[in-house]
Amino acid sequence: MSQSHHPNYKKIYLTLLALLVISVAGPFIGIKWVTLITAFGIAVVKADLVIQNFMHLKWERRIMKLALASSLLLVFLFYFGVAPDVMKHTGHNWVNDAALAATARGIAAPHADGGEAGGHAAGTSEPAATGTDGDPAAAPAAGFDARAAYGTVCVSCHGPDGAGDGPGAVALTPKPANFTDPAFWNGKTDAELLRAIREGGVAVGKSASMPPWGSLYTEAQAQALVNYLRTLRH
Amino acid sequence: MPRPIATTRSATGIPTVRLAIWWVLASEVVIFGGLLASYLLNRLGHPEWANAAAVTNVWIGAFNTFVLLSSSFTAVLAHQAAEHGDGKQAARYLMMTIAGAATFIGVKSFEWYHEIAEGYTITSNGFWSFYYTAAGLHALHVIAGAVIMGFVARDAARGRELQRVELIGIYWHFVDVVWIFLFPLLYIAK
Repeated sequence: MSQSHHPNYKKIYLTLLALLVISVAGPFIGIKWVTLITAFGIAVVKADLVIQNFMHLKWERRIMKLALASSLLLVFLFYFGVAPDVMKHTGHNWVNDAALAATARGIAAPHADGGEAGGHAAGTSEPAATGTDGDPAAAPAAGFDARAAYGTVCVSCHGPDGAGDGPGAVALTPKPANFTDPAFWNGKTDAELLRAIREGGVAVGKSASMPPWGSLYTEAQAQALVNYLRTLRH
Repeated sequence: MPRPIATTRSATGIPTVRLAIWWVLASEVVIFGGLLASYLLNRLGHPEWANAAAVTNVWIGAFNTFVLLSSSFTAVLAHQAAEHGDGKQAARYLMMTIAGAATFIGVKSFEWYHEIAEGYTITSNGFWSFYYTAAGLHALHVIAGAVIMGFVARDAARGRELQRVELIGIYWHFVDVVWIFLFPLLYIAK
């Protein structure tokens, strides 16, 4: 049997419990970076204490440490290799519509996913998420920020200025509608635009690349979007 | 007692059985690491998941962390007792560790029962998919470890195969380490 190394286990155990208390108490301070340190920094310290002292990796042969480290390295390779595709929802030649829609839906209506009021947590949310302290269903368009919605969902294809030149447009034929072009607005009715937004391009005889967003926007919200689109005209 | 040559020969200077356990864990690092990395990628790409994470109960998660840390403590005490040749004491400590595993699973069942009753299921959204998959895979490891530990404890109580006490302990601490990371990922980060 291997050489016996037995550190003071009780001391290590009590240290682990103290660290657990800190990691639970951290979020109560209410500062984001403090929570990150008390949650994940302490997790690393706790894991290290367990691995070195309880698993005795500290006294293990170096080859085993290297083998485990290479496993961990593979995980990091995987993480950074996949990160650009998963963490971003648009790229040079692609758009992840489903992820964009899920994010927009979740931020616009935090209660829809069954979350308790997550106002304090939605640090990255657009103004759309604020002011929904009351009944979210009662004010469909009141708390709705059309500009923010455009910037989250529509922008990937229709472009930041509405010129139909978003990153997602590269791969599309025909090209997305150009809202800056006065010709586009020639004879356009709100009803037609509402229909295109809520039922998709096909519903108005246009490209199927324009998805139906009816599950995402109510009639009133789509109307707010149409009003915003009109401001993009040159 | 004659032993098969594979358990005694060692080219690395590490007993072959322990080397085997480490290799199991090296592959487990990739399994859990891949799962947690995927979760982290999606979580960072989906700020709205914070709304779902807000539902998980920090106190239940913290209690289960306490239970697993304690069970790791008794597992390492069992290892110490086994190295002193005290199989009976090692078996007692292992039984305490198994009790910890049972408590952990009991608390988890209670927690899941209530979450599912409230309508948060594995198909609710991305967060809940990862929540049930990651914690579920971990719970399977807890159950498997507890069952194997029962066999090791039975032998240890009779003074047999005491080297296994260290081996099941190493595995058990790894399960503990996985939970140490699952706890902040699923419960603390709101």
